[in-house]
Amino acid sequence: MAAPRLEAAALDRARQVLDEIVPGAVTAIDDSPPEGALLIDEQHLVDACRALRDDPRTGYTMPLFSSALDWLEREPRFDLVYQLRSLTQNTTLRLKVPLADGVSGDLPHAPSLSAVWPGMEWHERETYDLLGVVFDGHPDLRRILMPDDWEGHPLRKDYVSFGEPVLFTDRASFAPDSAMSRGAPD
Amino acid sequence: MTSSLGTPSSTVGLSLVEDTSEGPLMELNMGPQHPSTHGVLRLVLRVEGERVRSAMPHIGYLHTGFEKDFERLTYHQGTPHTDRMDYLSPLGNNLGYALAVEKLLGEIVPVRAQRIRVIMTELARIGSHLIFFGTSALELGAQSAFLYAWRERERILEVNEMVSGVRMMTSFIRVGGLMADVPAEFDPTVRAIVHDFKPRIDEYESLLTENPLWLDRTRGLGVFSAADAIAYGWTGPCLRASGIDYDVRTSDPYSGYDEYEFDVPVGTHGDVYDRYLVRVQEMRESLRIIEQALDRLEPGPVVIDNRKVVLPPRSELDISMEAVIHHFKIVTEGFRPPPGEVYLAVENPRGECGFYIVSDASNKPYRLKVRAPSFNLVAAIPELMRGCLIADTVAILGSLDFVLGDVDR
Repeated sequence: MAAPRLEAAALDRARQVLDEIVPGAVTAIDDSPPEGALLIDEQHLVDACRALRDDPRTGYTMPLFSSALDWLEREPRFDLVYQLRSLTQNTTLRLKVPLADGVSGDLPHAPSLSAVWPGMEWHERETYDLLGVVFDGHPDLRRILMPDDWEGHPLRKDYVSFGEPVLFTDRASFAPDSAMSRGAPD
Repeated sequence: MTSSLGTPSSTVGLSLVEDTSEGPLMELNMGPQHPSTHGVLRLVLRVEGERVRSAMPHIGYLHTGFEKDFERLTYHQGTPHTDRMDYLSPLGNNLGYALAVEKLLGEIVPVRAQRIRVIMTELARIGSHLIFFGTSALELGAQSAFLYAWRERERILEVNEMVSGVRMMTSFIRVGGLMADVPAEFDPTVRAIVHDFKPRIDEYESLLTENPLWLDRTRGLGVFSAADAIAYGWTGPCLRASGIDYDVRTSDPYSGYDEYEFDVPVGTHGDVYDRYLVRVQEMRESLRIIEQALDRLEPGPVVIDNRKVVLPPRSELDISMEAVIHHFKIVTEGFRPPPGEVYLAVENPRGECGFYIVSDASNKPYRLKVRAPSFNLVAAIPELMRGCLIADTVAILGSLDFVLGDVDR
């Protein structure tokens, strides 16, 4: 496909702009095929996004979506993912922000981008709801898809999807993570 | 603005709440069961007389956990889920998903499959816009438009049935190509639809476009500036009505869209009326695309020639042990794309529908995120409805043309 060349150019340009305006924001370029991403330092995230939005060489004025990935075994555990669109450059850019899990069972914290793009506000609510990332500075961080009294964050890899713990007289308990949650065989 | 609202004090119809700065406001619950919410959207309106001071959407009533479910399904098993997200344009979702997985695999489907994909998704676009046309007119009291739109959409559903056996949730566009080739009567049937529908758009437009009542109810209402629409991540007809000519079909052409000649209609005012005009115009452009694709439809295969991805043809199963093994492996295990991640978007009737897939080289996606166009549209409702009249909320909702299955996934 013709697209990856364009994406590589977009990554390079975004990196140039960020190195100039917010030094230290870009920690690396993930150029693994078929699509790469810019790895951004969490501390510089808001400034970096402002720069990407306002600089005419990038012009990422449109937020497409944001979400997170749970790598469970990896350290840091999470990746925040931001997909941006530049209407002037006609390019799409993905930012990834490695994020450590909270200490002693707390939820991890990350800066909110709702002040940069109001369209990110609901996406951050969704990420909070489904993956349990708290966005500092978010004006209205509540659950959005799951019921308000839901426990847990369903898209986390250690979330138990099926079954309820049942007490049997002949066994200690029934583990709810049954074969069903594994789905199709590997 | 939205933060001060919090959870509404009551879930019953209405209640009086104190607001020290603004005088007493009435909290009015609209939905989730309300005919104009096009699904199950709940709006908590705070009104002062007939004026809406603030509107807070509550979503999630149709949340089905598709993204979680994708993680335990093989790639082929995921296709039927995509039908059920934006259920007014199932084929558009099929296409976005199939293209994203094909990009992971590094596969490109044969030309005939691309053409049929374009024809079917453009038909779906017309069908979806007809629903918009009919329901938004119905909500403002124009009943006949609704019946005409339904009559026309019926013929498109019959095409779905002809090619796939199913009228709505077709799963016709699959990873690696199509479910099957189209029958011989496909070409004349679609040509007849295009032929009949062209003059009828003018007829339907005569019901609304210059209708003084329609103009009064829609012009200058629900205005969203281009800058706001971009910052909220709006795409599709709603963004184009605000004057931005962003269309994935032209900016990142897929399935051979760069070979077709068509225009991207753009509005100027960003109001309810312009969103209507843009969609009507888009139906005409879709007809142009369908005609061109039909003219270029030549015989050929409709699936890729990779037996690790696509089921072998039935005739081979009787004579080839290898085909039986491939069939067995694909049905039981599926295929394993190389590790990596892709984001691929298509232009759905509601805007940019994107699939972000992370593969860990197993037979199931490690993570699949759907960028649903309706989600960003609904997120802007508090901004859009502030200060409008209660009766106008219905017109604004209709003009956004969101699908709650798409919002909630």
